[in-house]
Amino acid sequence: MLRMKTVTLGMTLSVALLSGKALAALDEAQTKELIKLVDERQRATGDYASVVFIDQKEKDGSTKAFEARVYRRDADDKWMILFTKPKAEAGKGYLRVEKNLFLYEPSLGKWERQTERASIAGTNSRRDDFDESRLAIEYDAKFIGDEKLGKFPVHRVKLTAKPNADVASPIVELWVDQESKNILKRQESALSGKLLRTTYYPGWDKMFSKSKGSDVYVPKEIRVFDEVEKGNSTTVVLRDVKLDPLDANMFTKAWLESQSR
Amino acid sequence: MLTMLNIAFRNLLQAKRRTLLLGLAVAIVATLFLFLRAVSSSISERMIESATTLSAGHVNVGGFFKIRKKASAPILSERTRIRDIVTKAVPEASGVIDRHRGWGRIISPASSINAGVNGINYNEEGRFFKSLRLAKESEYKKDGTDQTFGSFEDMQKPNTALIFAGQAKKLELRVGDSLTLVTEASGGQDNTVDLRVAAIASDVGFMSNWSIFTQRQVVLDLYRVGPDTTGVVMVYLDEADQATAVMERLRKTFADNGFLVMDHDPNPFFMKFEKVSGEDWLGQKLDLTIWSDEISFVLWITNALDFISAIVITLLAVIIIGGIMNSMWMSVRERTKEIGTVRAIGAQRGFILQMFVFEAIMLGFLASGLGVLFGSIVILAINGMNIPITNDGMRLFMMANTLKFSLHPSQIVSTLILFSVITGLAALYPALKAARLRPVEALMQGK
Repeated sequence: MLRMKTVTLGMTLSVALLSGKALAALDEAQTKELIKLVDERQRATGDYASVVFIDQKEKDGSTKAFEARVYRRDADDKWMILFTKPKAEAGKGYLRVEKNLFLYEPSLGKWERQTERASIAGTNSRRDDFDESRLAIEYDAKFIGDEKLGKFPVHRVKLTAKPNADVASPIVELWVDQESKNILKRQESALSGKLLRTTYYPGWDKMFSKSKGSDVYVPKEIRVFDEVEKGNSTTVVLRDVKLDPLDANMFTKAWLESQSR
Repeated sequence: MLTMLNIAFRNLLQAKRRTLLLGLAVAIVATLFLFLRAVSSSISERMIESATTLSAGHVNVGGFFKIRKKASAPILSERTRIRDIVTKAVPEASGVIDRHRGWGRIISPASSINAGVNGINYNEEGRFFKSLRLAKESEYKKDGTDQTFGSFEDMQKPNTALIFAGQAKKLELRVGDSLTLVTEASGGQDNTVDLRVAAIASDVGFMSNWSIFTQRQVVLDLYRVGPDTTGVVMVYLDEADQATAVMERLRKTFADNGFLVMDHDPNPFFMKFEKVSGEDWLGQKLDLTIWSDEISFVLWITNALDFISAIVITLLAVIIIGGIMNSMWMSVRERTKEIGTVRAIGAQRGFILQMFVFEAIMLGFLASGLGVLFGSIVILAINGMNIPITNDGMRLFMMANTLKFSLHPSQIVSTLILFSVITGLAALYPALKAARLRPVEALMQGK
């Protein structure tokens, strides 16, 4: 009799838990909306500038540290990163215009075309880590479940690249804070399904954008862990984020070259 | 003639000290010349061997496919048709194979490297596997044994890879270990594959650091491309110097068959991505090259070496010429009375001229013969010792892991001829002067 009661209670709890989970689950439209919201919260309609400190740790114990300035003009799909420190790297920069990514090497005075997936200065960071979030445009989203990431309740969403999307990672999983709707964790996998990178966003800043007329959320820090070359990691700290208009002629090769003269 | 040789030989013997010093100088320069030629020749031969083993046929039908204006991939569609055209157009080919070309990051638990990925069909690669040998464990592992592990036959098994000793050392991999290959698929998205190391081959010069080999199917899956695609069709010829003519013939044949063919650009395919990406066309264009084009980025090594050799040898030759001229002047002065006497008893000017020139030629021939003999013994001794090259810079320069020099009979013969001619020419002017002496004046001067 007691055993029967235990089984019944267990079944009842299971149903309750399952229905609770079902209630919390997002349907397809809600998941799509969530991803749109994630993009929208980060979208700055005007220009963007910030100082970034990139710290690369290799599994052999070696480290590299860089300081750079990042500039964006999302309306024209333009992006640029200009290295300022260390001295040996000062003047080096990446410029993305018309969907082409170029690397400028001041010591050689040469420009070199890079693939969109190229790592930035040999670190685990890539151009899209610093660029506008376009998840809703580039990916189809599927709700995986609600779970806890540390103490934060999160929505876990799986993104699959749309057929003609020009993205490096075909499969992305996101852990989105249920309360703030900021991304807390991101995992990227290859077409083969192998996990390549895990990225954590431990903190976000809120800023008012005049051009947008509302708040914009920018990550304070990004921690990237290489899942294939275990032990390699990159920490990107973003400071002095400004959403004020930049010079009209900034996103040119000439401007970037002039910074190292 | 025999009299002339006899006189020349006796004259050389008479001036023993001068002959010895001058002969020694000629011998040293001849040794140096032979040595430099052997170095240059061994580097050239290793280059051809490396290139035609690892990355190129004597003639290569490669190309690019552009699905977007700003992108280019080293992929050819219509693989079967292209191979058929090549086979028909080059009946003299000793072999026609095709390989997929790729580039990726090779990751092991210990380290990672970037390398070219070659997708091969095992059954077609007899020439390739025949030119390789399995590496001894000591070549890639500290305190390793002389035992070899794995086998090239294991490359028939799916998802296996052949790597080279230098790579295994850096990645700390052994036969049977797994590595991960990360690259971008044809759509630009990341893709990976895990491969098992089936064999570790001895390095083929430094260029083997940049290549790994796996099954064609692995590359097809990795890049998500269809089965009728390839990277390059490689044509092997019995006569490598026919490569340019065959390439031109193929260029015309492909154009006649409706293929778009790029202008000849004597550079390896991986140096053309930026140029092709910037061009305003879509679809496929063939790119025909010969073996030397695919390694043009390292040909500067032999060119530089040949240039330095030429300068060194020219300088030394000038010194020798100066020495021989001086020596002949002295000889003429010392033997003025002898010249006068010989002329007085009826010898013609030509005889006097020949006498001195023969003397110089004999000196050059004997001394360079001695130098060539010494140089050959040293080279053969070095080759026999199998001295490993441990310095990376030296390995890059010599394109080999052991110190070996190429010594051919043609080098020996040409060195002997060259130095005999140089010494003969150097003696020409003093000999002419001697021949022009009037007998009376010569007899008077000789008093």
